[in-house]
Amino acid sequence: MWQKLANIDRRIIYALMILVIALSLIKPVGLAIVPTAETQRVYDFIDALPSGSIVYLGFDFSAGGIPELMPAAHSLVRQGFRKDLRFICAGMWVMAGDMADTAFSIVEEEFPDKEYGVDWINVGYKPGGEVLLQKMLSSIYEAAVGRDHYGNDLKTLPLLNEAPTIKDTDALFIFVTGTPGERQYIAHVSSPHNIPLCVSTISVSVPELMPLIQARQVHAGVLGMKGAAEYEVLVGNPGSATAGMDAQSFSHALIIVFIILGNLGYLLTREK
Amino acid sequence: MKQELPVIIGLAFGLFIVIAMFVGGVPALTTGKNYVDDWFLVVSAWAIAVGVVNLTQIHGRRVQQRREGYQYSLWLMICMFGMAFFGILVAKSADHEGWKFMYNNLIAPMNATVYSTLVFYIGAAAYRAFRVRNVEAAVLLVAAVVMMLGRVPLGTVLLGDWIGDTAEWILNVPNSAGMRGIQIGATLGGIATALRILVGIERAHLGGTGD
Repeated sequence: MWQKLANIDRRIIYALMILVIALSLIKPVGLAIVPTAETQRVYDFIDALPSGSIVYLGFDFSAGGIPELMPAAHSLVRQGFRKDLRFICAGMWVMAGDMADTAFSIVEEEFPDKEYGVDWINVGYKPGGEVLLQKMLSSIYEAAVGRDHYGNDLKTLPLLNEAPTIKDTDALFIFVTGTPGERQYIAHVSSPHNIPLCVSTISVSVPELMPLIQARQVHAGVLGMKGAAEYEVLVGNPGSATAGMDAQSFSHALIIVFIILGNLGYLLTREK
Repeated sequence: MKQELPVIIGLAFGLFIVIAMFVGGVPALTTGKNYVDDWFLVVSAWAIAVGVVNLTQIHGRRVQQRREGYQYSLWLMICMFGMAFFGILVAKSADHEGWKFMYNNLIAPMNATVYSTLVFYIGAAAYRAFRVRNVEAAVLLVAAVVMMLGRVPLGTVLLGDWIGDTAEWILNVPNSAGMRGIQIGATLGGIATALRILVGIERAHLGGTGD
């Protein structure tokens, strides 16, 4: 019997994981989410920006990062537009334009007075990686070869006249899952030009981000789905990240149960 | 000369970029670097086209020779060219409804599905890997359990605030100390590799094998 515990068929683990995650999403328990100091710092930073400030948003991830990063992006758009902030979006990842488009899809319904080109711009993906960032230091228009994600001439969008370079923005807020990501922004934009940088990242990238936060090269971070859920709570719009925390809680608990069972089986059969 | 010329060009441009990055206040350097940046952006854009050619060659050959799993290669090419032609000839803009439909209902869910399947592999791998075989493994196991419970609301509900605080401590102190070491090491390694490429010791990217 103990031998069986040490060698549970992985299909059983998969099946129970599906069951636990599905049940948690279909019937959420609503575990209380208490914002941590880190997420609070992000919220306070955005809250302290003067009305009309221009924030550069970097959408440096692909669709795989949507569950963890998009809730934070929606919360930021909500918090920002309530404070009349304005956004210039771009990215070094091929799906950057589509990700920004998804993030701002809530605007039509929730902020009907906000206008594309005046309150936000979606420059979209442009190739070049970190060289793109360097180019945006001298001209976003040139770096984007004159066109936004939808093919509009960037010169016709008034917001870009106010912030023709990335240096003219008041803050950077980037959503990242890997490379190119926060390191490129730190090396070329935020540190040399003293522009505050906030980062939203996925859970597996949090350990890598911590030294940068401690060194204040990153002002503050929304850390994984947990951070995104906390941000949703702070903004007052609990959404998919908040719902996802139940699923994450119970799936973690299930993994721990399997680890305990595996160790029981291992230790008791090893004695023999 | 086939090998030397690219090394000489690489050295000249590499040194120029390094100097332009670290020496400020020289307009000629700034202007020159802007030109080089423009060239890089153009080359990067063309690299996508080269990627398409490369994928077509590899998978086209696989289909032609009916190698094992050639159906997947065929499907890859249908999707790649289908999406490209639709975007270039039909949609012409990311605002096109058909393009948005394909993105929202095909690319996004498939990409997210591939990523989310990781949870099953990680779950099964954690079950097999976290065995108390020795003291080091036990420390790793305890840290993993604390992190798993401390980073979710259930941990606080079941065990109180200390679990979250302990997880924060692990993240902020031992993790950060370790990550700093790894990152400094990786950066020094990157600088060393860059220097080797600049001076022509490392030539793998030119199709050679180096020294």
